[in-house]
Amino acid sequence: MVHEKDDETLRAGFSGEIKHRLGGETITLCYQCGTCAASCPVAKVTEKFNPRGVIKLALLGERQEVLSGSAIWLCSSCYNCQERCPQKVEIADVIYALRNIAIMSGHTPNIYSEFASGLMKEGRIVPISKFVEKKRTDYGLPPLKSAGVEAIKKILSTTGFDKIQWKKEGTP
Amino acid sequence: MNETKVGVFLSDCGNQLSQILDFDALVNHVKQVPGVALVVKASEFWRGEGLKTIVDAIKGKKISRVVVAESLPKLSEIRVVKAAEEAGLNPYLVEVIDLKDHCAWPHRDTPSEATEKAKAMLLAAIERAKLLEPIEKLEFPITKSVLVIGGGIAGMQTAEDLADLGIKTYIVEKSPFLGGLATRAGRFFPTDDCAICIQSPASDVKTITHTSRKCVYRSGFTEIPNLNILTNSRVIAVEGATGNYKVTIEKKPRYVNESKCVGCDLCTTVCPVAVPDEYNAKLKKRKAIYMNVPNVHPPVYVIDENVCKFHDCAKCVEICPTKAVELDQKSERITLNVGSIVVATGFQECDPSIVKEYHYDEYPDVITNLELARMIDGFGPTSGEIIKPSNREPARRIVIIQCVGSRDRRWNPWCSSICCMISLKHAMLIKSAHPEADVTICYIDIRTTGREHEYYYERAREMGIKFVKGRPSEIVHDPETDMLIVDVEDEILRRLLELEADLVVLASAMVPAEGTKDLADMLGIELDQDGFFKEYNAKLRPTETKRRGIFLCGGATFPKDAPTTSLHAHSAAMKATKFLSAGKVVKDQKTAVINEEYCGDCEFCPVTCPYGAISLVPKGEEHFVAEVSDLLCEGCGICVGTCPVNAIELRHARPNQMSAQMKALVSVNGTGKPLILAMCCSECGHTAVDSSGMAMMQYPANVRVMKVPCTGILQVHVFLEAFKAGAQGVMVVGCKSDGCHYEVGSQKAQKKVELAKILLNEYGVEPERLMMHNMVFIEGADFAEAAKTMTERLEKLGSLQLTDVS
Repeated sequence: MVHEKDDETLRAGFSGEIKHRLGGETITLCYQCGTCAASCPVAKVTEKFNPRGVIKLALLGERQEVLSGSAIWLCSSCYNCQERCPQKVEIADVIYALRNIAIMSGHTPNIYSEFASGLMKEGRIVPISKFVEKKRTDYGLPPLKSAGVEAIKKILSTTGFDKIQWKKEGTP
Repeated sequence: MNETKVGVFLSDCGNQLSQILDFDALVNHVKQVPGVALVVKASEFWRGEGLKTIVDAIKGKKISRVVVAESLPKLSEIRVVKAAEEAGLNPYLVEVIDLKDHCAWPHRDTPSEATEKAKAMLLAAIERAKLLEPIEKLEFPITKSVLVIGGGIAGMQTAEDLADLGIKTYIVEKSPFLGGLATRAGRFFPTDDCAICIQSPASDVKTITHTSRKCVYRSGFTEIPNLNILTNSRVIAVEGATGNYKVTIEKKPRYVNESKCVGCDLCTTVCPVAVPDEYNAKLKKRKAIYMNVPNVHPPVYVIDENVCKFHDCAKCVEICPTKAVELDQKSERITLNVGSIVVATGFQECDPSIVKEYHYDEYPDVITNLELARMIDGFGPTSGEIIKPSNREPARRIVIIQCVGSRDRRWNPWCSSICCMISLKHAMLIKSAHPEADVTICYIDIRTTGREHEYYYERAREMGIKFVKGRPSEIVHDPETDMLIVDVEDEILRRLLELEADLVVLASAMVPAEGTKDLADMLGIELDQDGFFKEYNAKLRPTETKRRGIFLCGGATFPKDAPTTSLHAHSAAMKATKFLSAGKVVKDQKTAVINEEYCGDCEFCPVTCPYGAISLVPKGEEHFVAEVSDLLCEGCGICVGTCPVNAIELRHARPNQMSAQMKALVSVNGTGKPLILAMCCSECGHTAVDSSGMAMMQYPANVRVMKVPCTGILQVHVFLEAFKAGAQGVMVVGCKSDGCHYEVGSQKAQKKVELAKILLNEYGVEPERLMMHNMVFIEGADFAEAAKTMTERLEKLGSLQLTDVS
């Protein structure tokens, strides 16, 4: 049996950083069998995303390449991979952890910066457009209520969300 | 009772130690100690003149206790103890200490301090010796017979060895025929030779003085003298203890008299009941009266009682020329008295339908490796033809998937270790029969670690077998083409592939045989985290269990190939023979004793004892007390450390012995540094101290080593007592927490230390004065380092003032 390493050793490197993030805990269990890649509907249509490849790069410590690349933003969160992984690597959750690290490191794709500012200003990720309002009226649906911006702002400020630097540089 | 007279024998190790230790001062010091009747200094005491001095002193009744300070303590312990016993002294009245590795060498830079420490060490040994008590050796008789559970290759080989050595041997097999899993394999890797011959006994070889192997047809496994074979039988109860087990076997009826059946096969020609043959992967049918294959042991038919119409039909009874069919046979209970048991229950192939995405239970053309083995076997259900079970058409596009349900943390986390080789074998056998076949192996890692195994892999590549590195995500059946599609990523190409196949073969995990858990419970032995039988120590005692006289071999401990199983089986036979041939178990009474006055109505010790040596017996009408089995007790003292009312003591480590030792060790300082008591277990902890001394690693002489049987014996009050006696710091040195020689001792000690730290804090004593360390022999440097660190720490903390502790 391998003796437990001290916390310090486990924190070392990029994989250690991921392991200590919510969702990233299981990354080092990966033994690269490729079940995830073969299960992935996104990988079937584009070579830009391969969950096994993302994990391999992360385990090799290629922090910059993983965080600044487009791959981690292409996961559709279908959880097929996570369901089938024989090592119980929580692959989709690992990718969420990587997205979080990417945002904290200033690698936010434009669309996410827009989501964030929308949330902070209007309390919504997707703003209500004239088009949507008109469609709702056409279908006889009531107009959308206000999102309770003040309450949402409070949550965002308590959680520190509003302090995040939503940089646009390095955007894929 | 005679007065206790201690003889102290000081070895200067051929004058080596005199250069560091002042022996004159030591002799003078020892002479002053009350109870010391004789002090002798010599070069060595473990042989020659030195040893004679000890023997003469004992014979001349000059001494009744022996303290030997020797530079080769291990040899002294063996030779002096033996000589003392021969001279008429109880061997447990000899105390051996090591002035070289524990004193002179690690403190050679500070000779005068070393001498002071040596005084303390000698005093401690004398004080302990005075309190030692004679310990008796007990003898327990052994029944010279053995039961082997499981009639596969492991069981058969071990049983044959035992029977050949003249031991009455029983072999119990749950199925109607011997041979186990291996006979279904058809051929073995890496030689592709016939799997059947593993059943043939080597005894033939001996009797005909030829060294060539014998095929099963020319062997007589059933004819081996001293061997009793019980097929169709199961162990249902085990009673008794080491050396004398009473085992109850349930033998199910065969309905065919073994001594009458001639194996003529007439019965199967008239039997009207045909059912799918499980032995042959249900690829053909067999009758209700059947034999697996024509070459089994015993070569006698059996009736499947679940499907036979019995007296409503009875055609087999009528046709049998020897009147061997007996439809009224009943199951019987057989009681065996055996001294030893060998568990050889093997492993089995896991049902791969747990891996849902491969649809094993849904698609008939998805089969397992074992099923493929039956197909490939020329003797098997398809006569060697590779077919799609769904329509019996030839299959020529074959995909083999590795690690199905194995190396899978959802099911079986372990690598089943033999599947890579099995799949390579199957791929090559198919390819050599049908060179046009398209055979692909999807793998995560190819593991070919055995002798000649890598050449096997090489040959597979030469033969054109395709390898895809990637574990398939799914098998899909295309109803239009009746094809199976295997979705897989070729990781090397980074390309997603859809492999078309007629037949998909799953290399399914190898898991513990059915009933393993129940058997382990009956025998009182442990399973490992994966559910296989756990050996006592994988590296040193690979066939033994925690219960003396119960042995393990073959796949029961982990999936194994045939050669490894064979090695394991012969090894178990040797161990069982060694155990049985002594005729008795000799066990000293270095065991725990219960003080019935204090003991009662608590279950701590029986639950904690790693050896099941303590049971509860009624005392009066409503109370019960603990009782120790001297046979099972290993004398570790973990029960002592657990007992909440101090009702248990070890005969060889009584509280007064430990206390006297402790006080003596800190009675002399002479170093100007804070005294530290290092309580070391007699196993790894003590050897770590030995090795630091042997390598002359220097640490300060204020560190005093006290040997205890196991750190598990230490109770919280022992630490407090050490501080009270004058120690400024206490180090507890035990085995690694998962490598404790008494299994849980180190872990228990760790908990006690944590608890004591809290208490110390309450008393205003700095908790860092007490430290737990886990060390093994090769970590002597760590001990020296820890001793230095502790000394520095205590120097910073300053002197310990104990006023309130009483």
